[in-house]
Amino acid sequence: MVNKQQSRNGSTQAFLADRSFYVLGVFLFLVIWQAASMLKLFGNDFSEAFSPLSAFLALIEMAKNGDIVHHTIPSLRRVLVSLFMAIIFALPVGVLVGYFRRLEQLTYVPFQFMRMISPLAWMPIAIIMFGVGDVSVTFLLWLVAIWPLILNTVHGAGRVSPLWLNMAKTMGAGDKGILTKIIIPAAIPDMLTGLRLAVGVSWIILVPAEMLGVPDGLGYFILDTRDRFRYDQLMATIFIIGLIGYLLDSANRWLISKFAWKI
Amino acid sequence: MADNGRSTGRTSKALISLKGVTKEYQKNGKWIEAVSNCNLEIAKNEFLVIVGPTGSGKSTLLKLVAGFEQPDKGEVLLDGEPIEGPGSDRGMIFQEYALLPWRTVLQNVELGLEFQYGKRKENRELAMEYIDMVGLSYATGKFPVEMSGGMKRRASLAMILVIKPKILLMDGPFNALDSKTKLTMHTEITRIWEHEHNTIIFVTSELDEAVKLSDRIAVMNSEGRISKIFTNDLPRPRFGKAALEPEFHHRFIELREMVMNEVKAGAGKAVCDYGQ
Repeated sequence: MVNKQQSRNGSTQAFLADRSFYVLGVFLFLVIWQAASMLKLFGNDFSEAFSPLSAFLALIEMAKNGDIVHHTIPSLRRVLVSLFMAIIFALPVGVLVGYFRRLEQLTYVPFQFMRMISPLAWMPIAIIMFGVGDVSVTFLLWLVAIWPLILNTVHGAGRVSPLWLNMAKTMGAGDKGILTKIIIPAAIPDMLTGLRLAVGVSWIILVPAEMLGVPDGLGYFILDTRDRFRYDQLMATIFIIGLIGYLLDSANRWLISKFAWKI
Repeated sequence: MADNGRSTGRTSKALISLKGVTKEYQKNGKWIEAVSNCNLEIAKNEFLVIVGPTGSGKSTLLKLVAGFEQPDKGEVLLDGEPIEGPGSDRGMIFQEYALLPWRTVLQNVELGLEFQYGKRKENRELAMEYIDMVGLSYATGKFPVEMSGGMKRRASLAMILVIKPKILLMDGPFNALDSKTKLTMHTEITRIWEHEHNTIIFVTSELDEAVKLSDRIAVMNSEGRISKIFTNDLPRPRFGKAALEPEFHHRFIELREMVMNEVKAGAGKAVCDYGQ
């Protein structure tokens, strides 16, 4: 077996070997999926519908009749809108809390307490506040996204070296300069880590959140396919959810590799 | 009484004065006086070098003038006013590298200019001038993580020098440099000091450096006191040809011996890194 250190030697051969193992992983995944359906792990009546091939055919069908677009767009919109609002809220809060020690002490217990509550537990309250529909779903997603963003930004802003602050002060930096040129850039790697975690958890919570009375979205469509006994479409939808989640996470990893400075 | 005209490096009126300054800190549960009842007057445009054994409070003294620390007893005055915090009139060059890891050499050197003037075209030119001076023009695009200790040291030096502070506080700024770079830096810092007329307080553990650069040499002992202040009357320039004159060389060695004996006498049990 090749360990991580050995495969980093950078030659073309090693690169191709690395790539082929990624492809092999995908292939094995499909084999296990197929085997599970052939062994009737999904039950005697429907296992055929759960197979990768059925899912693939359903995927083509859904692409043709517009179901994919019709349900993916609202899901993405909800996640992106809630993420955007979470960022606007969480980054300033995180910077302030991370920078002022008293504020961190003040908020520590409430924040740690709040972040452990599944946003779905707030569901009835969200419905009382915003009614059934888009706003409630977006609110729940916002509620789950803010914690990783806040806590990671707090960590980043708290990590600012006193040496940098002293140096900035001897250079005649004002509060604004210290904030924009020292604290915020110092916290960027942690903000991006927070963003990656927020995207992951939002995407995971999206599916159950969309089961709460919205007329579209991938979470809604899961229930819809179940009600129509279209388990091939259900598997296709699960596949889409996983794929989009993977792509969102890849985008975040790219952001981190591009914008996070290294020590 | 009457000030007889222009200042010539040392005037009667002190720019910085320390009056009975004591600074304590806690070490292993005991309170220790890092700086003990120090009295010192530093004139405008003076080049003062502080030497002393490890742990004699040299760096603490510098931090008091920088305004990062407040004295427990006594007062530190700048132009007769107590120093209450750091300011851009006192540029501090730290023993550790204060480079920002997300900025390149050029961007780091531009930082102070951005603080003072915002982003503008001249910043780059000015920064390049000082990067050239410290001999880093081949590495302007490098990040701190890619640089050696010596390179980081030179970059931090350019970073502070570019903002032309009236008072330069230097804490062992050339410690990690190779002898060739060190010589360049000695020449440059002297040139800057003569040209900009700033006041320099320079902490070092190398007596050659102290004698080469200073107007006066203050020796601190292991108890955090200033045990003696030597006036350095060696003529300037002290580099190149002038330094080769036998008379100059003789006086140089003589002063260095005197300072070394004073340091050794005050070292007590403390580690003495002045042997040779």
